[in-house]
Amino acid sequence: MPFPSLTPYALYIAGAIGAIGLYLLIRPGPVNVRRAGTLIGLAGVGLLVSEAIHIVDASVGGPAGGIPLIPCILGFIAVAGATRMVTHPKPVFAALYFILVVVSSAGLFLSMQAEFMAFALIIVYAGAILITYMFVLMLAQQSPSESPGDIEGATHYDRVPREPLAAIAVGFLLLATLGTTIFGSRVAPIGDAANAAVARATVERWRELESLPRRLDAEIALVRPGAVAAPDENGRVLAIARDGSASVRIQWDDNGTVRTDAIPLPASAAPTNIQTVGLALVKQFPASLELASVILLMAMFGAVVLARKQIELGEDERREAAGLRRLSLDDAEPIGRGDATASKAAPVGGRS
Amino acid sequence: MTTVLPSLASGLASVALAASDAVVSPADPRLVQVALVISVLLFVIGLIGFLTRRNMIMMFLCTELMLQAACIAFVTFGRMHMNASGQVFVIFILTVAAAEAALALGLVVLLYRKRETLSSEAWAELKE
Repeated sequence: MPFPSLTPYALYIAGAIGAIGLYLLIRPGPVNVRRAGTLIGLAGVGLLVSEAIHIVDASVGGPAGGIPLIPCILGFIAVAGATRMVTHPKPVFAALYFILVVVSSAGLFLSMQAEFMAFALIIVYAGAILITYMFVLMLAQQSPSESPGDIEGATHYDRVPREPLAAIAVGFLLLATLGTTIFGSRVAPIGDAANAAVARATVERWRELESLPRRLDAEIALVRPGAVAAPDENGRVLAIARDGSASVRIQWDDNGTVRTDAIPLPASAAPTNIQTVGLALVKQFPASLELASVILLMAMFGAVVLARKQIELGEDERREAAGLRRLSLDDAEPIGRGDATASKAAPVGGRS
Repeated sequence: MTTVLPSLASGLASVALAASDAVVSPADPRLVQVALVISVLLFVIGLIGFLTRRNMIMMFLCTELMLQAACIAFVTFGRMHMNASGQVFVIFILTVAAAEAALALGLVVLLYRKRETLSSEAWAELKE
């Protein structure tokens, strides 16, 4: 097939078109230029996506399923939001556009059956981390009167980008490298390999149910109340057939005689996404889980140490409130502090 | 229009929680490819933003964008191999992002109190 040999160049061309669009967008310029940049950038992204779909079709040897329309729309929203975030002169609006990126990538997660991560992303990223960013942006906002000549009231360092051409060249090189390494190889197993992978994943998913005894008991109680799961000589409760269906060995007391039987389990009895993620977290990565908690603890210590600095700066005010003599005069430098900004920052810390 | 509607319906079905009778469904190769393209684009845009923005808070926000792109790639590869390790990595990325946001923003506020500017070039002397 002659198509795959052309694809690297098509990827580069699409990337270059997108880079030109981003370059027109990133510089402060007339509205028409920015509109043209938006159009060119969208064309570049569209070409890139269609080219990637062509590559996967060529590697499968035919159309590999239907058009993933909703993921494509979500992806366009995410890329457009990210571009606007990078180019917007006002940081608060940029943070709002980042929330748009987070929400649309949560939609992408939903379409990839990662429901828990989708909602965790919205709650943690959009709900907590971005709110912290918003607080800091509003704490550290410049007064607009400081530089009255600015467009849209944005400060100089937010309007003028630093070395846009070099940055976009670096970005294009990275895009080309990632494009050739990721899209040059086959993305998903096909044919017999895909069937084998699905069968293996099905067995693993059913085996996870053995780690969830209470859920298993609930499923058994639905079919035969009073029965308990009965492990065989290997300790296995579930028997998994070749077609992916599973049955569970149960044991119950039938008027004095103990009977054992195998009952089939419906597909809805398989562990859900959140159970799978939780099991993987505690069974495969317990040490990393502990390390993550240490990281959070250290971050909390660090934040407390950073926050304590403001209290130290407000020492004069506390002495004054207690009826003691101030350590320093307002117009003189504080004792033991070399820079003049410390005395300026002191009332701020004292009040807060 | 006749081709768009069925694909829209199948897309909605894939977004709605898996209602099929299979325990594990194979990954759609086209979906995997599109999600990888999105993740690469987001990472590159985040890198460009990090290099071009002068505002320190915006630079940190651009690193968050790059982390987000990595999250999408992890979840996509996890879906491709039909296991949950990719999603577990996203949990760790969220942890690191939260810790980084808390510390970096605290530092930025302290620096802002000293110089009354968020420009990264005001702190160029730190590099010496």
